[in-house]
Parts: sequence; structure tokens; C-alpha cells
Amino acid sequence: MTELASVDAQDLQGFRWVRVHGEIDISNTDRVTEQISKAVPHDASLVVLDLSGTTYLDSSGISMLFRLAERLRYQRQTLRLVVPAKAPIRGVIELTRVSQVIPVQDDIQFSPGGQAQGAHDPTEGLTD
Amino acid sequence: MLLGGRLLLVALAYYLGARLGLSLSLVGENVTPLWPPTGIALAAFLLMGRSMWPAVAVAAFAVNLPISEGPIPAAVTAVGNTAAPLLAAVLLSRVGFRRQLDRSRDAVALVFLAALASMLVSATIGALTLVASDAIPSDEFPSAWAVWWTGDAMGVLAVAPFLLCLPLFWEGRRWPDLLWLEAALMLVGVAAVTTVVSLVQVQLLILVLPMLGWASWRFQLRGAAPAALIASLIATWAATRELGPFESGSLLERMLTLQGFNACVALTSFFLAAMVTERQRTLEALEESTHDLEDRVRLRTLELSAANARLVSEIKERFETQEQLSQEEERSRREHQKAETLQRSLLPDRLPEVPGVALASRYVPATSDIQVGGDWYDVVPLPGGKIGLAIGDVAGHGLQAAATMGQVRMALRAYALQDPSPVAVVTGLHRLVEQLPMSQMVTLLYLVFDPATGSLRFTNAGHPPALVLGDGGCDFLLDAVSPPIGVAAASTFFEAGYELPPGATLLLYTDGLVERRGVSIQEGLDRLSSEALCQFDGDVEALCDHLISVMLDQDTVSDDTALLAMRLLTTSGGPLRLTVPAEPRQLAQVRSALRLWLREHGVAREDENEILVACGEACANVVQHAYGVAAGGLMDIEGVWSEGTIELSIRDRGQWRPPGEREGGWGLQLVQAVMDSVDVETKADGTVIRMRRRVQVGAER
Repeated sequence: MTELASVDAQDLQGFRWVRVHGEIDISNTDRVTEQISKAVPHDASLVVLDLSGTTYLDSSGISMLFRLAERLRYQRQTLRLVVPAKAPIRGVIELTRVSQVIPVQDDIQFSPGGQAQGAHDPTEGLTD
Repeated sequence: MLLGGRLLLVALAYYLGARLGLSLSLVGENVTPLWPPTGIALAAFLLMGRSMWPAVAVAAFAVNLPISEGPIPAAVTAVGNTAAPLLAAVLLSRVGFRRQLDRSRDAVALVFLAALASMLVSATIGALTLVASDAIPSDEFPSAWAVWWTGDAMGVLAVAPFLLCLPLFWEGRRWPDLLWLEAALMLVGVAAVTTVVSLVQVQLLILVLPMLGWASWRFQLRGAAPAALIASLIATWAATRELGPFESGSLLERMLTLQGFNACVALTSFFLAAMVTERQRTLEALEESTHDLEDRVRLRTLELSAANARLVSEIKERFETQEQLSQEEERSRREHQKAETLQRSLLPDRLPEVPGVALASRYVPATSDIQVGGDWYDVVPLPGGKIGLAIGDVAGHGLQAAATMGQVRMALRAYALQDPSPVAVVTGLHRLVEQLPMSQMVTLLYLVFDPATGSLRFTNAGHPPALVLGDGGCDFLLDAVSPPIGVAAASTFFEAGYELPPGATLLLYTDGLVERRGVSIQEGLDRLSSEALCQFDGDVEALCDHLISVMLDQDTVSDDTALLAMRLLTTSGGPLRLTVPAEPRQLAQVRSALRLWLREHGVAREDENEILVACGEACANVVQHAYGVAAGGLMDIEGVWSEGTIELSIRDRGQWRPPGEREGGWGLQLVQAVMDSVDVETKADGTVIRMRRRVQVGAER
């Protein structure tokens, strides 16, 4: 069986940019987790997980995000998510209130101070 | 000179014969009971020709002159003496007389025509002359005539056969010495017996007949004629001397006795001789024909056995050739089988199950020779529920082509996982094929299909175009055609797109299906599209079977043929029904089918995404909890559309693990969050989750 999802990463100004394309379900959460971990070096203080290309995410994927955030926090690393407002998975992200634990933003545009400009209150999107 | 000599010889013989005859006369000096000259004359005419008559006439005149009453009676008598044998010779030649006297009819002719009939002439003329010249008184005419007639007749019967038999000694079969001895003994015996019976008073003349029988039996004419002559001469001599049986009685009685005896002798000997000869000849002919037959049988047997031997060797040769042929056939059949087995093992043993899509494929190997083609096809599941469809043909036949085909197929799978875009896959394969040690040409049609959207992306490297069968007819995908793989060093490949409407069928095939000797490719393509349209309402399996049966010659498939058909299942307003193994990797396929179904109903994207999540969670629960460690369980997914409401049920037939052992817990909460209502019903034979949600309709598709 071919992979449902692919992971790639690169360093952008001041953060590690990790993108996940494809679908995440119970068949590949472990593998995607592993790929993301490999893509994140220990010295990256800010990790932006870009889910713009992710077309499906189920509860196992949500669990994966929480575990990832917790682990990075132990390592003094910060995790942010990019989930565009029109993304198919936006609904799931909001329903599970991921933004209460992990900051979620629409895109990767950041303020010069390192703060993502698009950051907003995740509860806004519930009625989207 | 020869003629003169002959005439002289005949005349001399006639004269001597006459003198002998006269010495045996009974009436006066000129009527004798045995007149040899007549026989001599007849023999001369038969042996040397009738041109001998002057010699006979002259000699007869010379004989008669001294005993006649003057030259005129002598001449008249001579005319009679000449005319009688001449008439006999003419009559005999008329009836086809053979002087060999070897047939009964010859004996009959000699006795009746030559002796008895012809001699009436000489007897009448002679007797009349005797009366006219006053040599005898007229009352003696009857007896003189009778004696004359019988004398001439006996001359013919006794002497002519003897003379006629003489040439047979050098013409006929030679006698061995012993036979000569026997003949001599026989003749002496005949003479002795005749002499004895002619001298004794008792009538024993009949005793001569057995001797004549001996002569005729053993020597035929050559023995019978001399014996008869001797017997007649001796008897006649005895009669003239009035000895033995002729001692008493009148002249007439003596004449009757003598002529009776002579006639018996002549008839007995000649008839017997002729019959024996005839019989012998028949025997010889029979023997000869038997020999002939035997020879022919031998010859034919030889011919037959030669022919038989030839036939046997031919059969043997043919048998050996046949044996060789069947060995060759056996070998090539085994190779064919081997290559075919390889070919089949390189093809997918079964197609993947893709929800929302029906797939069917066929491979028909070539039958006519050991050729195994390099036709192949493959269906590759790709990320995101897409599938890659490939069909190709490696140029050439046999194991080499089959091996290349296997490599290309595996490479295609690898490239497709790396980057599924058609151009990338085909370009990668082109680079690979170029580097193969054996230069190979490969045609390939590669398509990526998204069942969720019905969109096709494809690249065609020199392969026959795919056929799309839809409601509105059919359509060949003629875009994005590039040269075959492995032909040009630097090939550029193109990519094109096509939207496959729900319910449409995509048909991929190799050239074996449309190429036929004497028929153009275009005709083949036209025929394919019309035949495929005929079968459009059937399922893909039936479509493949139909096309194979009508497009290929059933007896000899000259080129191998591969066929791959994919139909985008339409629910056409109906419910969605899926049954898949309860395995993690099936979830993407289920989502893909559900997505397609929702889009068919025009469900809005936001609704679609959340329903997908709900269904995915429910299915993931089944996968994780329903069957425990046991593998092979199934799950049924059913979707019903009813007036703006989607009702989904996910059913399993397993036993759920107790809630305490479960992980997560997000799943059901999520389902409940996105759906309007959720019911979980657990029974002994499994669990059903039923959920419903109102949806917005009319979103763009």
C-alpha cells in the first residue's frame, strides 16, 4: 500500500517549517509522527506544522498532534499549526479545540517579532 | 533350277509310286487297290504348291501310256489322275487344312474331301476310259470304278500322310535316341504283326489296330503314318497274292476285306494321332499357361513384395518424422508453457479492490507458436485514494520480452509511489528502459485516476488510445501522445486530463485486440468502439468477455492481448453500499467512495468533510475494536439519501472489546459532534452505528 501522506521540512526565518500532504488516519499516524519527529531538529525553538495540504485528519491524528505538542514542550520547543480557514480539516481542528493547546493560524505569515500574524482566537472558526 | 529339280523329283516319285501300285493291281494291269501316285501327287501339291501339276500330268501320262490302249486313253486317264489330287489340294486349302494333321478336323478333311470325294473324279474318268477304249467290257465298269476309286482313295490315305509327316522330323520337336529306338521297334512290330496276320488263314487283321494305337499314342503322325503305310502295303500285297485271309472269296470280297482293313488303319491312325496331338497341344498350352501364370504370379509377387517393402519403409520413415515432429512440438509446447507461466506470474494475480470503482482485466496469450508477448497491465493504489492504471506492450516476444515487461512493471510501481504524475512516471521508465542491456521498445499508457472526482490524468507513450464509454457514446483519449519508451534518446512526454463522468467505463487494451491481418487499425478501432457500446450496460467483466470473444479469432490468437476495464460506479440516486475488510488501509478507499457518493448528491463541501470524518471515525472504531486480534473481518458501509438527510450505517459482525481496554475515546465524541444523531446498536452477531445529518445541497461539484 502506498503512503497516504508525505512529510517534508525546511528551515525558514527563525522556525522549522514542516508540511504534511495527504491524509492522516489510523493507518499512518505512527508513521507520520515518526516522520515529523525526524524532520524536527532539537535546536529548532519554533516548529510550524503546516497542514494546508492535509486533506483528511481523524481523531487519531488529533491525538498525534497533542502528543507531539507535549513532547516538544518538554524539549523547550514551541509548536504552531497552520490550518487555512477553507481547509477540509478545519472543522475537525475546531471541534476538538486543538487551539486551546496548540496555537492555530491560517497561514505562515509572521510578524517581525516572530509572532504569527494570522494568529487568532480559534473559537471564532466554530461557526465557519 | 530349283523348280525344275522339284518338278523332276515329283515326276520321278510319281512314276516310281505308280510302278509300285501297278505291282499290286487286282484288275488286269492297271487297276490296283492301292494307288500310291495319287498320295504322292497330293503331298507334292500340299508341300511344294499346286504348280507341280505338270510333273504329275507328264508322269501320269508316262505311267498310263504302256498300259493303255493308245496315247489318247492314256492322256485322258492322266488328266483324271492329275485333276483328282489337284481338286483335293484346292478343297483342303479351302477348309484351312493343316498339313501337320494335328487336329481332328484335318483328319476328317483328308479322309472325306481329299480321299473319298476328290477321287471320284479320277475313278470315273479312268473307268470310263477303260470301257471306252475297250480295255474292259462294259459290265465290268462298276467293279473297275470301285477298285479305282478305293485304290486312289487308299493311295491318298496311306501315302499322303506318310509324305506329309516327313517334314515334321525337322520342323517339329526332335526325338531323343530312345524314341527313335522305340519307333523302329514299333515299325518292325507293325510289319511283323501285319505280315503274320496277312499270312494266316484266320481273320486276325484286327490285331494290327493296337499296334497303330501304340504308334499314334507315342509318335503321333510321325509314327502313325509310316505304320499305316506299312500295314496297308503289306495287307495289299497279301491281297494281290491271295494269301491268308484273302485266299478264298471273290475279287469283290477280297477288295472289300482289304479296303475295309486299309480304311480302318488309316482312320484309326490319323484320327488317333490328330486327337493325341490336339490333346498334347492342349496340355502343352495348359502347361505353358500354367508356367506363364506361375511366372506372372512370381513376378507379381516380387512386385508386390517390393511395393510392400517400399510401403513399410515409407511408413517407418513417416513414423520417425512424426515422432520427431511430435518431439519438436512437445519441446516448443513446453517452452510456450514456461514463457506463458512466466508472463502470467508477472501480471497482477488479482486487481486491488477500489471502492466506487469496478475493475476487470483479461490476458489472452498467443496460441499459434511459442511466442509469448510482453503485454501487461497493472493497477496501483496511490495516496489519497487515487489509483494508477497502466497498460503496456514490450516489443518482441518470448522470455526476453516477458522479462523486460516484469522489470518495467515493477519500476512503474516504484516511480508511481515516488511521484504519481503521469509524465514523471513515464519519463522515469524511459530512462530505465534506455539503460537496459537489450534495447527494447515499450508502448505504455499510464493514467492516474481519482475516484472521488472522476478526474483522469494520463500520458500515452505510443500505445493505442484508451476508450471511454459513457451515456453519450464513446470517446478515444487521443491527447498526450508521445513516441514509445526506449525509442528516441531524448523523449518529451506530455500529459492530458479528462473528466470521467459517473457511470462511465474506461477501457485500456493492447494492439492484439484491434490489430488483425488485412484490416486497418482504424477499422479495428471502429469495430472495438461499436462492440464495446453494444455491451455498455453490462458490467466490466461481461464487457471484457464480450470483447475477447468478438474481437479475437477463437482458434488462433496471433498476438497476445491484454485488456483492462474500469467502471466508475454510479449510485445514480441510489444508496451507497460497500463491504470491505476491516483493515486500516481500507479507510482511505471507503472515504474515497463516500466522497464520490456525496458529491453525486451535490452535498456541500463543509458537510462532506465532516461526514467523512464521522464515517472515518466509525470505521476506525470497527477496525480497532470489533474483531480483536482475529483478522479477516468485514465491515459494511451503507449510505442512504433521503430529502436532504444523509443516513449512514456502519456494521460489523464482531465482538467489541470492553470499553476499558479501548484507547483514545475521541472517535465517538467526534462522530456525535458532527452528526445530528448517532445510535449504536450492539447485538450478538455484531454492532451497527447509525448516524444521520441534514446537509446543504447545491454546492459546486
